[in-house]
Amino acid sequence: MSGRGRPGTDRLVAAAFALTVLGAVFFAAVYVLGNRTQLLGLALFLAFAGLAAGFAVWAGRLLPQGPYVEEREAMISPPEARRVFASELDRDQEPVVRAALPRRMLMLALGTLAVAFLFPIRSLLFSGPTPWRALGRTAWRDGVRIVDAEGRPLRPSDIARGGIVTVFPEGRVKDDHAMTVLVRVDPARLALPGGRGAWTVDGVVAYSKICTHAGCPVALYVQTAEQLVCPCHQSVFDVLKGAPPVAGPAARPLPQLPIGVDAEGMLVARGDFPAPVGPGYWRTT
Amino acid sequence: MPPPTQRRTTARRLAARRILAAAPLLAVPLLAVPLLTVPPAAPPAGPSAPAASAAPSPAPISRGRELYGISCASCHGQRGEGTQYGPSLKGVGAASADFQLSTGRMPLPNPRALPRRREPAFSRRDIDALVSYVASFGPGPAVPAVGRGNVRQGLAIYLRDCAACHSSTGEGGALPAGRYAPSLTASDPVQIAEAVRLGPGPMPKFGRGTLSDDALNSVIAYIRSIPRTSGAGGWPLGGVGPVTEGAIAWVLGLGLLVLVIRALGKRAR
Amino acid sequence: MITRWAVRRMLWWLDGRLRIASVARKALAKVFPDHWTFMLGEIALYAFVSLVATGVFLTLFFEPSPAETVYTGVYGPLRGARASAAYTSTVALSWDVRAGLLMRQTHHWSALVFLSAIVAHLSRIFLTAAFRKPREPNWLIGLTMFLLGIATGFAGYSVPDDLLSGTGLRIASATLLSVPVAGPWAGFLLFGGEFPGTSIIPRLYILHVLLLPGAIAALIGAHLAILVRQKHSHFPGPGRNQDNVVGSKMWPTYAFRSLALLCAVFAVTFGLGGLVQINPVWVWGPFRPSAATSPAQPDWFLAWVEGALRLFPPVEFRVFGYLVPAPFLPGVVMPGLTFLVLYLWPWLDRRISGGRGRHQVLDRPRDSPARVAVWSWAVAFYGLLLLASSDDVVARYFEIPVFGIVRTMRAVVLVVPVLVAIVAYALAKALRADPGATLLDLRWRQVAAAFRRRRPEARAERPAASGGEEAGA
Repeated sequence: MSGRGRPGTDRLVAAAFALTVLGAVFFAAVYVLGNRTQLLGLALFLAFAGLAAGFAVWAGRLLPQGPYVEEREAMISPPEARRVFASELDRDQEPVVRAALPRRMLMLALGTLAVAFLFPIRSLLFSGPTPWRALGRTAWRDGVRIVDAEGRPLRPSDIARGGIVTVFPEGRVKDDHAMTVLVRVDPARLALPGGRGAWTVDGVVAYSKICTHAGCPVALYVQTAEQLVCPCHQSVFDVLKGAPPVAGPAARPLPQLPIGVDAEGMLVARGDFPAPVGPGYWRTT
Repeated sequence: MPPPTQRRTTARRLAARRILAAAPLLAVPLLAVPLLTVPPAAPPAGPSAPAASAAPSPAPISRGRELYGISCASCHGQRGEGTQYGPSLKGVGAASADFQLSTGRMPLPNPRALPRRREPAFSRRDIDALVSYVASFGPGPAVPAVGRGNVRQGLAIYLRDCAACHSSTGEGGALPAGRYAPSLTASDPVQIAEAVRLGPGPMPKFGRGTLSDDALNSVIAYIRSIPRTSGAGGWPLGGVGPVTEGAIAWVLGLGLLVLVIRALGKRAR
Repeated sequence: MITRWAVRRMLWWLDGRLRIASVARKALAKVFPDHWTFMLGEIALYAFVSLVATGVFLTLFFEPSPAETVYTGVYGPLRGARASAAYTSTVALSWDVRAGLLMRQTHHWSALVFLSAIVAHLSRIFLTAAFRKPREPNWLIGLTMFLLGIATGFAGYSVPDDLLSGTGLRIASATLLSVPVAGPWAGFLLFGGEFPGTSIIPRLYILHVLLLPGAIAALIGAHLAILVRQKHSHFPGPGRNQDNVVGSKMWPTYAFRSLALLCAVFAVTFGLGGLVQINPVWVWGPFRPSAATSPAQPDWFLAWVEGALRLFPPVEFRVFGYLVPAPFLPGVVMPGLTFLVLYLWPWLDRRISGGRGRHQVLDRPRDSPARVAVWSWAVAFYGLLLLASSDDVVARYFEIPVFGIVRTMRAVVLVVPVLVAIVAYALAKALRADPGATLLDLRWRQVAAAFRRRRPEARAERPAASGGEEAGA
């Protein structure tokens, strides 16, 4: 045992633990006086740092330092022990080895039971349609009104040129699978793929708001470049050309929603998206 | 001009919290700092005129014309018709001129620079003069008036329409092509309202058809409330989330503990 | 004195029923090696203790429910707002429960420290080849705890149902969906339907507070039991060999040292928890699937996967006409391969260390330049992926166009780790030639010589540097 500087070291350790007492009292006092996260944390930091310092000095200066040597045995049994174990294992297993039919039937029984217990996994999906049915389509139909997040129907003129608004099918403002953005651009600049000429109204185009890469809401609109950008992985989609990906990790365009206006001049969908929305999955379309 | 929307009572509490939030910064002057601070803005392009005495007299158009000729005409043309260096200002209106000038985005230090927030180059009075002069080029949106808003309603709208670019913390974020959405912490209510209605630069435009004046007031009220709470947990690490948190966990958390075990692992001789 | 008397009484009481005296004596005399790197795993252990302690406090206030409730606490912008109970109770925990924010932040910091300590511990085991026979079981258990720790961390930061973590769940769901054949069903079964559904929060919660930490606790028990059974490995040195352990005794020296570390871990996690903000859910706002915040990164222990998702080129292909989406390779295959290689490493390493013998004396890292090269490659590769995951933050604060970063990083992530590995290989080889030297002592000439030296010659030096091998069974 090293006795070097012992009285001084004793006092040092005691001082460290005294810091813990102070920290603990400080913590209690702060707690009683109000909820000050920073002071509470500081108090506990001091309390535990005092304990740590006390233990560390105690261990390093007052306790025996060794080095000590401990013998170790090999992590393998001596051959004799292995032999004895093997013969114990083998001694009475003849009825087990010989009975092939019961043994095989037991395997089959356990296997069947295990398979049977796989079935309740299906219960995890306890409501709603099955995956391929749910993923393949949205609630948009021909004639369904387009409403904003507050459920208000929109006229084309409500959207400023260079503006963007998130919309839903009427009566389904919580249907996130159907969420769509309307962007208004200069109609003369639109260069949509063939056959989509009638899918817009006064330069208002509608695209699914779910990124085709990892499903984040494509909520960023760079007005000057007429690009929709996904804030998660920075995929960029060209609004004028039917939202093909032009940069970033997305590989498929945002599906475009065909839109028109009804008799009252309100924006309506003219059908569902032509392709499944959102991130890709195992499918042939 | 808007009525002051903040409650004065919170100001003192906020100040105390700021000091506390800065404590770890002082205790541990560490590497992460360059990540956390926005690079300093370039020096203002023009001389800062002395603050004007407050009389809200109609700003003299002649003063505006004079300043316009010195600082703006070389790019935007003598009567705002635009040149190869800058767009036409006909019909941009008072709102746009006020936004660009009061946030120091205009005048640009050179025609190729990207507009960004700087110290305004002109005094408030000169800005008003320039604004009325530019507004005289043609009819355009007037400077919006900002009223009281509902912070709770503002939070929901902010998250829906603003946070994707400007971040939940209002610290801003990256856009493609080297552009970025600026931090909102330095913006005053009128500037925010102007930006929302006009859509300056890459920012989309939010008209009254999709964002009512009430909703706009609420968003502004919420944005103004963010700094009061965004550091309640302590040093806010730049408000960028897990990136700096991870760096701190490795450097401060594990780093300190490695120092501890290095000391513990050494036996006294 | 009273304590001493009470402890004695209790021990004799137990011994009178369980006969523990000799086992307890052996435990007190257990020898721990003194090198500091042997305490990295202990940091992880004590961070786990901190996690459990603070986590129990949090469970008393957190409500893992997606049901819409009205927040009524002191946080102004949300007062009167409707959001899920999971979110409002987390905000209440942060603003209305006294010391709640301290506990929440300490819990989160402990989780980050827990996983970074595991990685540091794993690195030490890897570089010193402590995974070799007979310690493969503990390597496998340790890796499993690492995986479970990542899963627990993800589940933990996802349950508050805030906008940032909801975005993470969204990406996790898309990644699961991308798995060929089974993906859609796996995603729908986990989420109980289409994302986000109403089942995921309670499910993640039960995983986070019971199943995953329970499994980790059980594996910690196994990890330590095997450690005690096998005794520690140790570094080569005078008087140290295959048949002994040299160091400090469990009682009292090592116990006090270990208590000091436990308290130091608590000091650091509570200090960070009080003074440095983490995951301010009230600022992120409640999760709405149509809303987003940016920048959006996962916590660091998953950010390497996020980095891969960001860097991977926009490539999707079809198998038998079926779509294999872009997130599959970087989001599923890359992490899967990473852990597969880690799990198999003790067996792959035999090609490097060239033996099946039992090892109680560790390699020094320099003893195996190839292993150092592999480790350096991994640190560079996964470190660069971490950096890539913050490309938008870097772009914003250093004003570099984000796609410039992405394009550059696509190449950097493939090239730089290889260069790092080559340099590390050369340095390790130069150090091996001069066992007494440290990295700072090296001269350029020695490094260059390491490249020139022929392999057989290098092989011939090995036995001198590493400890002898016990005969295999």
